[in-house]
Amino acid sequence: MYHVAVIRRLYVNNYRCLQNFDLPIAGMPSALLIGKNGAGKTTVGSALEILQKIARGTNRVGELVKPKDFTRGITDVPMRFEVEVELNKEIYGYVLAFELPEKFKELRVLEEKLTVEGKAVYTREVAQVHLAKWDQDKIADFVIDWHLVALPIIQLFSPDDPISVFKQWLAQMLILRPIPPLIRGESNEGTLQPNRTVTDLGAWFTGLLASAPSAYGEVDDYLKQVMPDLKDIRNPLVGVESRNMVFQFATEQGSFAIPCEDLSDGEKCFVVCALVLAANSSYGPLVCFWDEPDNYLSLDEVGLFVSALRRGFQSGGQLIATSHNPEAIRKFSGENTFALYRNSHLEPTVVRLLGELQINGDLVESLARGDLWP
Amino acid sequence: MTPNRFRPHVMVLPEDRANSEVANGFLLDPSLAPRSVQVLAEAGGWTKVLDRFETDHIVEMQKYTQRHMVLLFDFDGQENRLADARNRIPPHLAERVFVIGSLTEPEELRHATGLSPEKIGLELAKDCREDTALVWGHDLLKHNAGELVRMRERVRPILFPAPLTA
Repeated sequence: MYHVAVIRRLYVNNYRCLQNFDLPIAGMPSALLIGKNGAGKTTVGSALEILQKIARGTNRVGELVKPKDFTRGITDVPMRFEVEVELNKEIYGYVLAFELPEKFKELRVLEEKLTVEGKAVYTREVAQVHLAKWDQDKIADFVIDWHLVALPIIQLFSPDDPISVFKQWLAQMLILRPIPPLIRGESNEGTLQPNRTVTDLGAWFTGLLASAPSAYGEVDDYLKQVMPDLKDIRNPLVGVESRNMVFQFATEQGSFAIPCEDLSDGEKCFVVCALVLAANSSYGPLVCFWDEPDNYLSLDEVGLFVSALRRGFQSGGQLIATSHNPEAIRKFSGENTFALYRNSHLEPTVVRLLGELQINGDLVESLARGDLWP
Repeated sequence: MTPNRFRPHVMVLPEDRANSEVANGFLLDPSLAPRSVQVLAEAGGWTKVLDRFETDHIVEMQKYTQRHMVLLFDFDGQENRLADARNRIPPHLAERVFVIGSLTEPEELRHATGLSPEKIGLELAKDCREDTALVWGHDLLKHNAGELVRMRERVRPILFPAPLTA
């Protein structure tokens, strides 16, 4: 069954280098962001991470954004985040704007709104929240601290409470930039919400299998494709409540167990990829923003790795990747590759769909020459 | 570890970005055998596809006997280009090398079908998987019929080893 869960549009204004930034990715199961260093690719992930953190329960504004996050210190224009999501055949829209009035040290919420199919679930102006009538719930008006985002603390009594549906989906969004040297396989509890650097890989594996034991099959299948001598993955108890992932390899010469922390950096990325694919199948569909998924991989693996990821999201969910790697870039096309550029640190990020740009000759060579940018 | 060089596998050598994007779409088919196919960097012209095949791939194909190659380029309206290309393939490798492409340019195919390059690739993969010719039978692609007969026998079992859907 095809389940849609894709971001149709991400709009960000006055946040770091993103001014009036619109990323139209409707209908794209996977998309790639390319651009020079400092163009704003990672900042797109940071913007998404703010929304993810809110859904995961961080609602103190000061823990989400700081005054320094205003573009070039422009504090007389609100900092705005808008996301439009197709989820369960319905269009969810979430708007959040912050401002920094004079003499304030911490930003406050200026505007907040959640809509489903254009119908407001709740709206908010500064401290005043208006809960619209929804199913059996009644209209309600109340005030909350203007330094708190409302989304994590509002709940409806409707069985298909759209706030819960949206929040759960947003909380499970994956924002990844793995740092393999810091990845170990230990866990004290399970999670379905790994952190950006995936240093909680063991907890994610534990949580994934607790949530969907059959996910092991998909993890195992993928890893055996890239590491044919893998026999199995174990996650035994090593303490009262702690586990540690161990990878068992076997050939005709014998078998050998390697703890997760001793896998190579690239092999750890294979494990992350396997968990991403299995997570999308088992508790998705998910949106996954992966900042440079080709990092740490050998050249012969990059294309296969990226193709496997793209294929995994083709029938549900959405992959947004960034890359500088020619092999990764070649695995995307003009219809789903966005070129980001900035003329200087004083100017905002501009985004163009690659298919709309005039490219003379080979794309990768054009990128290497720096000729793609105006 | 790339597609296992000692197991049957396919390498696609595209002429240009447009052909490469069609191949990218083909790779998105959910039933495609993992790591069975690799799309190489575009050669930069149909003659360069053949040049690169001769300089880089003939020796490798002799070494790796499970390797199959698909040379993917535009025919620019000249159906005899297939014969020209096949003349440059050593007879002992001919069974494992396939030459296919759009009769004109993928851009025309895109306009004619109303599909993006990746969508064309996806539909071509579906045709292969389900043994249909909805897109392969298009006027701009039907000249590939002879090569497709060979590919059905040699390449499809590598790419889609699962039983065909009803």
